[in-house]
Amino acid sequence: MADSWDIDDYLNERPKAKSRSATAGPSNFVQRALSTPADRDDPDANILDDIIGELGGRPSVIDEDTVAETPFQELIRHWMNERHAPEILPAQETLLGRLLDHIRKQTDDVQLLRADPDSSEDEHFRIMLVQTEVERVKFVIRSYIRTRLFKIEKYAKHISTTPELHERLSQGELEHAKSYAKLVESHFTHSVLQSLPPEQQSLEDNLPFMPPMVPEPDITRAVFVRGREDCPPIRVPSGGETQIKKGDVIMTPYHVVKHLLARGNVELV
Amino acid sequence: MDATRQYGELATQLLLESRRSTATDTLLKYNDVLVRTIVREQRQLESLLQSTLEQQEALNPGGDGMGDDALTPTVLLYQTAIIRNKRCLLAYHHHRIERLKELFWGVGGALPLILSTHTNPTGAGNNSAGAASLSNDIRSKLSPHEVDFLRSYSASLMTFRSGVLATEEVDLFIQITRPPKDIHVLVRVVLDCGVIQTELGTIDFKRGQRFLVRAPTLNILSLKGTSKRSSIMTSR
Repeated sequence: MADSWDIDDYLNERPKAKSRSATAGPSNFVQRALSTPADRDDPDANILDDIIGELGGRPSVIDEDTVAETPFQELIRHWMNERHAPEILPAQETLLGRLLDHIRKQTDDVQLLRADPDSSEDEHFRIMLVQTEVERVKFVIRSYIRTRLFKIEKYAKHISTTPELHERLSQGELEHAKSYAKLVESHFTHSVLQSLPPEQQSLEDNLPFMPPMVPEPDITRAVFVRGREDCPPIRVPSGGETQIKKGDVIMTPYHVVKHLLARGNVELV
Repeated sequence: MDATRQYGELATQLLLESRRSTATDTLLKYNDVLVRTIVREQRQLESLLQSTLEQQEALNPGGDGMGDDALTPTVLLYQTAIIRNKRCLLAYHHHRIERLKELFWGVGGALPLILSTHTNPTGAGNNSAGAASLSNDIRSKLSPHEVDFLRSYSASLMTFRSGVLATEEVDLFIQITRPPKDIHVLVRVVLDCGVIQTELGTIDFKRGQRFLVRAPTLNILSLKGTSKRSSIMTSR
């Protein structure tokens, strides 16, 4: 890691001016983050890798076959999955916890270095890059949490009445889901239902030819999936079988690839 | 009485209002009168339905109620109208909740900004004119129940935020519309918002000045009530 941007290096040994000039190109954030391990030559890409990637060296990834992905790439994958899947996916609490711990540490280090009058111009520039990257990681985390919140609120009633879904949520999320469901219900009750005749006060009419009153995720929605590896064959609704190979992108109803997604064989794009 | 009106016509008006609200991206005033009128229609329908059912029972005692006597269509008509009205009422309220939540997130979770009834246009400091007019607008459009809803919603989110996952490192309420490109943002102040503490010292924001501030500072600014969109123009 001779040419690393690891901020911890500065703390330990203060390497002399490193020759690489960092020019933050206007490249696509997600793409850049995704392509980090592949090209170590790109100084731009290394920053992110090092900020995030040093959590216990190479992170242990679920699957040995794939190229090892950094926690941040893992988060980006889960973030994309979450954004594209119609239903709520399992919470990635440990991953988030690790990232948050790391961000905290980086921020502290940055503060320390900023306060140090010996830091050179060049180092200040690097500190700025590190800060920028930290902001970006925070952005993804924020977006990830908010995406989950959005789904939780949308399907609050469904989630809080379906125990199988509870384990997919973190403690805080579950509490929010329950309190939100209660909140909406009491709002409806106070604004509308209590003034209606008692026969009409139910919130769960199940009538023929009418959509149910408790919204549920539409698991038949079409999604695009990309194979992260060669997958076992899957049965498509039309009756046939098909196989997703590594790198293949196909469009399919969500429920067809649901189990592959849960195992991390595929990702949604 | 208004005999010319069909059942469900008022509910359609309510839905139209929701749709107009979406189309123009504004929050319309809570239509208490219309909601009450529909509720009254519901009661009327229910009593009509009950009396028809009794008639049917009298005409055809012990029947399964699904016979093809002359009254079945009447029952069906009343029932359909009742169900439809109820759905429309709930849809209207739900739509408003969604809009309120949007507003809530739009101001970065600063509930007082939406709810404060402060209308002093010459207010200094935090009660800048922009914030005051904004809140004045919204509060008057809410029903009391909606205010309660917003309060509890905010409380629930605060619990969530201080809970296991989210920490003070990542502020949930910052906008997520576009990823940060730079840690510094050039802002033009279009409203006086007084002296603000930033990580690197204090800045006195005066109208017309331009500053290069760190992006997190901008979030403080928007939390303080000088919303990014309304008062501080971000220029690249």
